[in-house]
Amino acid sequence: MNTMKWLLRREFWEHKGGFVWAPLIAAALMVVLVGGLVGYGIASGKMHGDSISVQVDGKEVHHTSIAKVITLEKRADMASIAANNYIATGAPIFFVLPIVGLFYCLGALYDDRRDRSILFWKSLPISDTDTVLSKLLTVLVVAPLITIGVATAAALAILFFAGIATSSHGVNLFGAVLTNVNFYLAPLYLVGMLPVYILWALPTAGWLLLVSSWAKSKVFLWAIGVPLFAAVLLKWLDYLLGMTSGTTINADWIINNVLESILLGLIPGTWFSHAGSALPQPTSSGVPLLPMLTYSWSTLAKPALWAGVVAGVAMIAAAIRLRRWRDEG
Amino acid sequence: MSAVISARGLTKRYGKQVAVDGIDFDIPAGRIVGLIGPNGSGKTTTLKAALGLVPFDGQLTVMGLDPRTQRDALMQDVCFIADVAILPRWLRVMDAIDFVAGVHPRFDRARAEKYIANTRLTPTMKVKEMSKGMIVQLHLALVMAIDAKLLVLDEPTLGLDIIYRKQFYQNLLEDYFDENKTIIITTHQVEEVEHILTDLLFIRDGKIVLAASMDEVGERYVEVMVAADKVTAANALQPLDQRTVFGKSVMLFDSARAGGVSRAQLSALGETRNPSVADLFVATMKGTYA
Repeated sequence: MNTMKWLLRREFWEHKGGFVWAPLIAAALMVVLVGGLVGYGIASGKMHGDSISVQVDGKEVHHTSIAKVITLEKRADMASIAANNYIATGAPIFFVLPIVGLFYCLGALYDDRRDRSILFWKSLPISDTDTVLSKLLTVLVVAPLITIGVATAAALAILFFAGIATSSHGVNLFGAVLTNVNFYLAPLYLVGMLPVYILWALPTAGWLLLVSSWAKSKVFLWAIGVPLFAAVLLKWLDYLLGMTSGTTINADWIINNVLESILLGLIPGTWFSHAGSALPQPTSSGVPLLPMLTYSWSTLAKPALWAGVVAGVAMIAAAIRLRRWRDEG
Repeated sequence: MSAVISARGLTKRYGKQVAVDGIDFDIPAGRIVGLIGPNGSGKTTTLKAALGLVPFDGQLTVMGLDPRTQRDALMQDVCFIADVAILPRWLRVMDAIDFVAGVHPRFDRARAEKYIANTRLTPTMKVKEMSKGMIVQLHLALVMAIDAKLLVLDEPTLGLDIIYRKQFYQNLLEDYFDENKTIIITTHQVEEVEHILTDLLFIRDGKIVLAASMDEVGERYVEVMVAADKVTAANALQPLDQRTVFGKSVMLFDSARAGGVSRAQLSALGETRNPSVADLFVATMKGTYA
């Protein structure tokens, strides 16, 4: 257990740049942009121009009278929308995660073979299983948790600026938002989706780590090129068969179910993409988080998920086995 | 005391190339063994097999364990520096110490810090900011602070200047080595290690050509400064090697060879002395690159 703690710390030392600084920089950019807009708007009086008006209940209302039109009930609604959805403003940060995760996985069991520092790690009493598992934990648990933390912080900052913007029109929502329980639950809902993310991401992480452990060079090409080429080949074969005998090998099904799950699994929320009508519909107060969480967990009933998990575990076992015997010359 | 390493018919092939060709040897505990051979002779492959880094054929036990299947247990008691010391570029000195202290139960932090204090390394320095020599210094400081029963050093001092090399071997002998430890060293700078070695293993083309303790080597091999009038007589005794120093013939004899001559007989030819390991090595490996 102690060894695992140090292995995780080791990964953190090496990949601070990708896992901490990349989302932080993305977050900082977003916050500065929103903060700048609000600040500029207030300072330059752009928000108080004569031509500005907003729609309230389908009626055109001049901005100076917004505060009068918006009733207490309306304010509670607005606060509820803010408390329920502010976390969504951190969404762009979640797109950093799969990119960083992809390159992390590809390098994880390859970089130290290339620069031969693997011989140093192998001179210490660390099993190959622990090494590979530490990399898996880093990409599937540590990195998403850091991302959730940074995204939440960014969303809070943006919510704060939005609050200032409405306050400048005499509509103070801070109290109402802070007393809304969903404001506090939102980050927890995200953490609650993490186990679902881990299971859906397992085949991708397994595939990437396997290639990283196996390839002698050109890891990216093998990991991405092979599945893409396989997709093209399947489509072509399907086309030929359809032309000649009218049969099909169901290329689209294979591409959707197999190739997608080994390439796109690291993207948060892939499990929503095939939801169809089961997906919680947005209401007037935005997309409700609790039904999203419940839906996420309900995907655990899908056999496709568990097939992916089994494949992922098998590929990780293969990666460990390869790590044991790869000779670095 | 049973052997720390015991090999029977150890063979390693890379494709059709035979790197190690069915060798047998035993290394007892409490020895400092020099594994010496020309480039490509199979030294590193032999050591890699013993460290469980490559699969192999034949029998090989290291401290009673099979390195193929029991590597994790083995690494509790074995440490090594492979070929050229390469540490990951992003590693900081202090992190390296913390990490090894965290994962190795036999690591002595104070000792590592003492070695590092004798260098120009600073705690926040990253490997990518270090000269090659400094990287080796860090690596050696880490490894020397591990109380391993078997230490394998494959070209440990490559890239170090002579001052640090001498210092390193002195530390190895005085601070590190004791009768419960075994050290295996390969190096091309034979003359720098010969005074600390207790045993020699010469390897050539994947075969052991000499396995002896330094005492046996001293008994067996004799170098004679042959007087000018006795050169013909000396040549008749089939010396292993012959060279000329300041106009005098220096010949190397193997007294254990079948029909070899005793040290007393040789001393009649001229002044006798023990050959250096380097001279013995060159004589043994004659024709390697021919």
